[in-house]
Amino acid sequence: MHVRWCLRKRGSMEVRGDEYVSCDEWAFSLLPLDVDLLSMELPEFFRDYFLEGDQRWINTVAQALHLLSTLYGPFPNSYGIGRCARMSYELWRKLEEEEESETKSRRPEIGRIFLLDRDMDFVTALCSQVVYEGLVDDTFRIKCGSVDFGPEVTSSDKSLKVLLNAEDKVFSEIRNEHFSNVFGFLSQKARNLQAQYDRRRGMDIKQMKNFVSQELKGLKQEHRLLSLHIGACESIMKKKTKQDFQELIKTEHALLEGFNIRESTSYIEEHIDRQVSPIESLRLMCLLSITENGLIPKDYRSLKTQYLQSYGPEHLLTFSNLRRAGLLTEQAPGETLTAVESKVSRLVTDKAAGKITDAFSSLAKRSNFRAISKKLNLIPRVDGEYDLKVPRDMAYVFSGAYVPLSCRIIEQVLERRSWQGLEEVVRLLNCSECSFTDMTKEDRASSESLRLILVVFLGGCTFSEISALRFLGREKGYRFIFLTTAVTNSARLMEAMSEVKT
Amino acid sequence: MDCYTANWNPLGDSAFYRKYELYSMDWDLKEELRDCLVAAAPYGGPIALLRNPWRKEKAASVRPVLEIYSASGVPLASLLWKSGPVVSMGWSAEEELLCVQEDGAVLVYGLHGDFRRHFSMGNEVLQNRVLDARIFHTELGSGVAILTGAHRFTLSANVGDLKLRRMPEVPGLQSAPSCWTTLFQERVAHILLAVGPDLYLLDHATCSTVTPPGLPPGVTSFLQMAVSFTYRHLALFTDTGCIWMGTASLTDKLCEFNCNIRAPPKQMVWCSRPRSKERAVVVAWERRLMVVGNAPESIQFVLDEDSYLVPELDGVRIFSRSTHEFLHEVPVASEEIFKIASMAPGALLLEAQKEYEKESQKADEYLREIQELGQLTQAVQQCIEAAGHEHGPDMQKSLLRAASFGKCFLDRFPPDSFVRMCQDLRVLNAVRDYHIGIPLTYSQYKQLTIQVLLDRLVLRRLYPLAIQICEYLRLPEVQGVSRILAHWACYKVQQKDVSDEDVARAINQKLGDTPGVSYSDIAARAYGCGRTELAIKLLEYEPRSGEQVPLLLKMKRSKLALNKAIESGDTDLVFTVLLHLKNELNRGDFFMTLRNQPMALSLYRQFCKHQELETLKDLYNQDDNHQELGSFHLRASYAAEERIEGRVAALQAAADAFYKAKNEFAAKATEDQMRLLRLQRRLEDELGGQFLDLSLHDTVTTLIVGGHNKRAEQLARDFRIPDKRLWWLKLTALADLEDWEELEKFSKSKKSPIGYLPFVEICMKQHNKYEAKKYASRVGPEQKVKALLLVGDVAQAADVAIEHRNEAELSLVLSHCTGASDGATADKIQRARAQAQKK
Repeated sequence: MHVRWCLRKRGSMEVRGDEYVSCDEWAFSLLPLDVDLLSMELPEFFRDYFLEGDQRWINTVAQALHLLSTLYGPFPNSYGIGRCARMSYELWRKLEEEEESETKSRRPEIGRIFLLDRDMDFVTALCSQVVYEGLVDDTFRIKCGSVDFGPEVTSSDKSLKVLLNAEDKVFSEIRNEHFSNVFGFLSQKARNLQAQYDRRRGMDIKQMKNFVSQELKGLKQEHRLLSLHIGACESIMKKKTKQDFQELIKTEHALLEGFNIRESTSYIEEHIDRQVSPIESLRLMCLLSITENGLIPKDYRSLKTQYLQSYGPEHLLTFSNLRRAGLLTEQAPGETLTAVESKVSRLVTDKAAGKITDAFSSLAKRSNFRAISKKLNLIPRVDGEYDLKVPRDMAYVFSGAYVPLSCRIIEQVLERRSWQGLEEVVRLLNCSECSFTDMTKEDRASSESLRLILVVFLGGCTFSEISALRFLGREKGYRFIFLTTAVTNSARLMEAMSEVKT
Repeated sequence: MDCYTANWNPLGDSAFYRKYELYSMDWDLKEELRDCLVAAAPYGGPIALLRNPWRKEKAASVRPVLEIYSASGVPLASLLWKSGPVVSMGWSAEEELLCVQEDGAVLVYGLHGDFRRHFSMGNEVLQNRVLDARIFHTELGSGVAILTGAHRFTLSANVGDLKLRRMPEVPGLQSAPSCWTTLFQERVAHILLAVGPDLYLLDHATCSTVTPPGLPPGVTSFLQMAVSFTYRHLALFTDTGCIWMGTASLTDKLCEFNCNIRAPPKQMVWCSRPRSKERAVVVAWERRLMVVGNAPESIQFVLDEDSYLVPELDGVRIFSRSTHEFLHEVPVASEEIFKIASMAPGALLLEAQKEYEKESQKADEYLREIQELGQLTQAVQQCIEAAGHEHGPDMQKSLLRAASFGKCFLDRFPPDSFVRMCQDLRVLNAVRDYHIGIPLTYSQYKQLTIQVLLDRLVLRRLYPLAIQICEYLRLPEVQGVSRILAHWACYKVQQKDVSDEDVARAINQKLGDTPGVSYSDIAARAYGCGRTELAIKLLEYEPRSGEQVPLLLKMKRSKLALNKAIESGDTDLVFTVLLHLKNELNRGDFFMTLRNQPMALSLYRQFCKHQELETLKDLYNQDDNHQELGSFHLRASYAAEERIEGRVAALQAAADAFYKAKNEFAAKATEDQMRLLRLQRRLEDELGGQFLDLSLHDTVTTLIVGGHNKRAEQLARDFRIPDKRLWWLKLTALADLEDWEELEKFSKSKKSPIGYLPFVEICMKQHNKYEAKKYASRVGPEQKVKALLLVGDVAQAADVAIEHRNEAELSLVLSHCTGASDGATADKIQRARAQAQKK
C-alpha cells in the first residue's frame, strides 16, 4: 500500500529535481478483495476529494475503469450521479477514445455500470451497521479484506489475522445476515457439526479411515472458523451492551424517521457531555444535521460548544471541515432552496468546470433528506414486527427501519433504465447537472451481460450497502460487482474529517 | 554465355576475380582526384571531396570547396570551406562526414553538407598539430585516430561517446612513422606503426615491438600496411617490393608475394569475401592495379586514370573521374554455374531452362541428369543464391527463372527463400539505380539490414522510395511507413520558406492519424529549428495531452501547458506544470495564474499543505480567505508553536481572522481557548502536574481528582460550563476516586439535573451495590424500574412495574427473572398482566 502512495506523489518528488532518480509508476489500481468486491484502497480519496476538492484521484478512477473495460469489453449502459462520477466517466471516455483499441469490437461482459458519489448519500454511511460483516467492520475494522481478531475473540493469548471473504464457508453464510440472526445460525451450525463428528461412533475401521482422510479436515476447518465467529459475536455483544447500543440505535432510527428531534438532540448532548466517544458524538451530530437539513442555529452553537469543551479547541477545524463537506451545517434562514439552485446552475453552465468545486464548497450544501426519504419511500411502513429472518426489502440491513438511499437510487434507476421519473429526486440531491445515462451501445449487450452490473462508489461504500445490494441482486436476478475507492464506515468518514493533534 | 566469364581473372587455381562497372560517373570534376582529399563511405556510401587542400603552391587566399556526391556521382552538396586546414576526412557509420582539422578540431557534417557539431581531440593535439588522421569503424561505432606532430597517437574508439585516449609513447621515436594503421582486437582499438625495419604495437598502456612471422629478410622499411574490413588480417608492403599477408594478431603468416615494384603504392586494401578461404590484397599505384594472393601469379589491371579504392565487406570499389567499378572474388554459386564446362547442378538447371524456352527436348535431358543425381533442390538453391550475387537485372532474371523452373519439379520446396530473394533483388536494384546511387551487393545488404537501409534512404531524403519499399516488403507500420513519415515531417518543418500554416496542414494531411506517429516528436523538431508557432500548431494534432505538455513547458508556453494538463485530467501532469510555473514566474503572477484555474489551485493548496505551509498562508491572504486563514493560525497554535506566548499569539491571530470572516462563534471559542491556555499555565505553576493541552472538561476533571474542588467550581463558572455537564463530570470523577462520601455529599448539594439513575449506574460500574442502593430510592418514577433492576432488586422492580401498569416495564422485569428465586416474581407479573388484559 505504501509503495503506491509514494509513487503517486510523483509530482512533488520532482521538486527536488533529482536527475538520477528515475520514477516508474506501478499502476496499482484494483485490488480484488472478494469475488464481487474490487477496492482501489484509496481511503484518502474521501477527504481529498470531498473536503479538499482535490481532483487528482479522478484520473486514477478513470484509469481503473479503462483497465476494466479493456479486460471485459465496453460497458454498453452507463448511469451515474454526482460530480465526481461525471468527471471520472468523462475522463474515462476520453481515455477510451485516445486509445483506439480492440476493446470496441469486444462483446461486452458487464452490461451496466453505475457510478455514485459518496456525498449523494452520507446518511447510510453514518448509520451504525447491524449486518454481521458491517458490524465486524465497525467493531474490529476490516483492513483490506482481513481482520485482526484479538485475544478476546480467539480465546487464546494470541491475536489472529483472518481473511474474510467468500472462501470462508461459515462467514459467507452469515456476512449478509442481520446480527440478531447470527447467533441462532451459528448455534445451529455448531449442532450440525457436532452431529457430523458424532457419526464417528459406530463406524467400522474402513469407514473411520474414510472419514479421517476425507471429511475430518473440512470439519476441523469449519470448527475453527465457527469458534472464531462465535468468539467475534460474543465480543461484539459485550462491547455493544456496554455502550447501551439499544439506546443508540433507537436514537438513530428516530433521526431517520424524523420524530422526537428534541429528545435526540439532548441524547447527543448527553453523549458529548459524558465524553462517551469523540467519533460517535460527531457521527450523531452529522446524522442529525443531514436528516434535518442542517441544525437550527441554537443547537448548532451549543452542540459545538459542548463538543469543544469535551474534546479540545482543535475541533474547531473539524467543524470547519464538516461544514465544508456538507456533513454538519447550520440551517440558513435566508437562502431558499431555489436561490441556491439557481446559483449552482449558473455556475454549472460556466465552461470551466473546475470553478464549481470552489463554488460548491462555499455554498451550504442541503441534503433535503426528509423530502427524498418521502419520495423514495426510504422508511418502510411496518405493520407489526419486521421479520429479520426473512427480509422483504433492503431495509433489513438497518433492522427494517430504513432502506439505504444509495441502494434505493440504484434500484430505481436500474428498474427504469434511466433517470426518467426521478427528476425530482435528482433535483433534491442538487445533482440536476451531474446525473447521466449513456446507452449508446444498447443493441450489442446480451441479456446475459445486462444482468451483470458494476457499481462504482466514489468515496467509499459500507458493508451494509454491499449486503443490501447483494440482497437486491438475489431478489431481481442481478449480479452486482462492487468497485469502491475504499470500504468505509461511519468511523472512517468521521476520522477523515477530524483534525487530530499530532 | 561464352563471353560471360570474359571478365573473370583466375588467381591461382581456385579463385576467380571479376571487375565490373557500377556506374559511369558523370560528375563534372574540374580537378584530378589526386589534388583532392577524398573520403568514401563503405556500404556504397557517399563520396566527399575537398578540393584544393592547403597546398603550398596554391594561393592561400582561395577558399577550398567541399563537395559531396552519391556513389554514382550525383552531387548532394557543395560548400565553401571556411574553417581551418583539414588533414583528413572520413565517414562515420551514421554517414556523417568527420573532417579532422590541423588543430585537432573535428567538424561533423551531414550528408547534405549541413553542419552538425564539432568536438576537439584534446589540448595535446591542439599544441602539436595533426600530422595524420584516420577514421575507422568498429562494432563500438566510428572512431578517430590521430598522429600528432610530436609523433604521439590519440584516439577515440567511438565519436558518439567521446572518450579520448592518449596512446603510450614509442621510445626513441624521432621521425614520423612510415606507415600506421588501427587494429581492433577484443573490443579494444590498438595502433600498429612502422618505423624503419621495426613494427610497434600500441595499446592503452604499453608499447611493444612486434615481428611478423616469416618476414623475408632485407626489409629496411615498411611502405604501406592494410588491415582487412573485419580487422582479421593484415598486409604489409616492404621496401623490397614484397607483400606479407598474415593475421592481424601477427601470429600467423598467410603468404607472401614479391611484386618486384619498389615504388610505394598509393593504396593497398584487402579484397575478400566473408566465409571465403581466399585472401587477396589489391595494391594500387599511379597507373597499375594488382590483385595478389596465395598464388605465384598476380592479376594485373592497367589504370587509365587516377583512381581511388574503397574497401568493402566483400570486395573493393574503385572509382575514378569517369567510372565506378567493383572488384570482388566470384562467389562459389556463380562460379559453379558459370565456370566453363561446369557440370554443377545449378549450371545444368540454367541450361535446362534455356532449352525449355527454346522448346527443345534437351531441357528434359538436362533435368533428368540433375534428378538422377538427386541434386535438384541443390540446383534450385544454387540458382537463387547466384542470382543474388549478380549485378545485371537480366542475369538475375534468367537465374531466377531457372530456379522457378526447377522448383516445379520438386515437391514441397519451401518457397520463402525464392520469394525473399526476388524481393531483396527488387529492393537492391531500386537503390542501385543511378539516381539513388547506393551500389550495395547482396552480402552488404544483408549485413546492413533493411532498417539501416531505410534509415539511409531517409537520410538522403528519399522518402517516397523508402515508403514504397516498406509497403512492398509489408513492414509493420510502426517500424516502416509511420517512421518514415515522421522523418519526413521532421524534415518538412525545417523548410523555412513555407509558412507555418502550410507546413502544419501538409503534415497533417500526409500523416493523419497514422498509428505510431508522434506529433509531439515532430513538434519538438520544429521547436528545435526555432519555429515555436509551428510547434504549437503541430501539437494541436497530438491526441495525447500528456505528450503535449512537456514540450509546451520546454517552449516556455507554461500557461498553455497548464490548460492542456488540466484538460487531460491527469493531475500528475498538472503538478509537473505547476512546479515548473512556480519556478518560472514570480510569486504574484503565479498566484494570479492559479486564481483562474481552480483545479490547479486546489492541487497546489494540497501540495502546500504537505510541503510549504507558509505559502499556503500567502495563498489565503491573497484570496482574503479569512476563515481558512483563521484555521491556519489555529492549527499553528498547537502544531507549530512550542512556547506558550507563541501559541497565544497564534490564537490571537486566528481570532482576528475569524472576526474578519464574520465567524463569531469560532472567534469566541478561540478567545476562550486563549484564556484557558493562560489559566492552565498558571495552574501548572501553582499546583504542579500536567494541565496544558487538556480540554476544558478534562481540566476540570483533573482539578477535582486532584482535590481542588474550589478551583474546579471557579473554572466551571468562568467558562460557563452547563450544570448537566458539571454533574456528569463530578459524578464520574468522584466515582473514579471511589470517594463515596464526597459523592453522597455532592448528590445532596441540590437536586440533580441529570436525575439519579446515573448515580446508580456508576456505582454499579464500580461494583458498589451498597452505595447504588442509596441512590436507587431517589431515582424518579419513570426510571425507577431500571434502577431497581440494576441493583438487582427484581421483586421490588416488579412491584413498581405493576404499580405503573406499564407493559414495556413488565416485560423488562420479566426478562430479568432468571434464577429459581425469581419464580414467584415472574408469576406475580404474569398474574398482573392477565389482570390488566381482563380490564
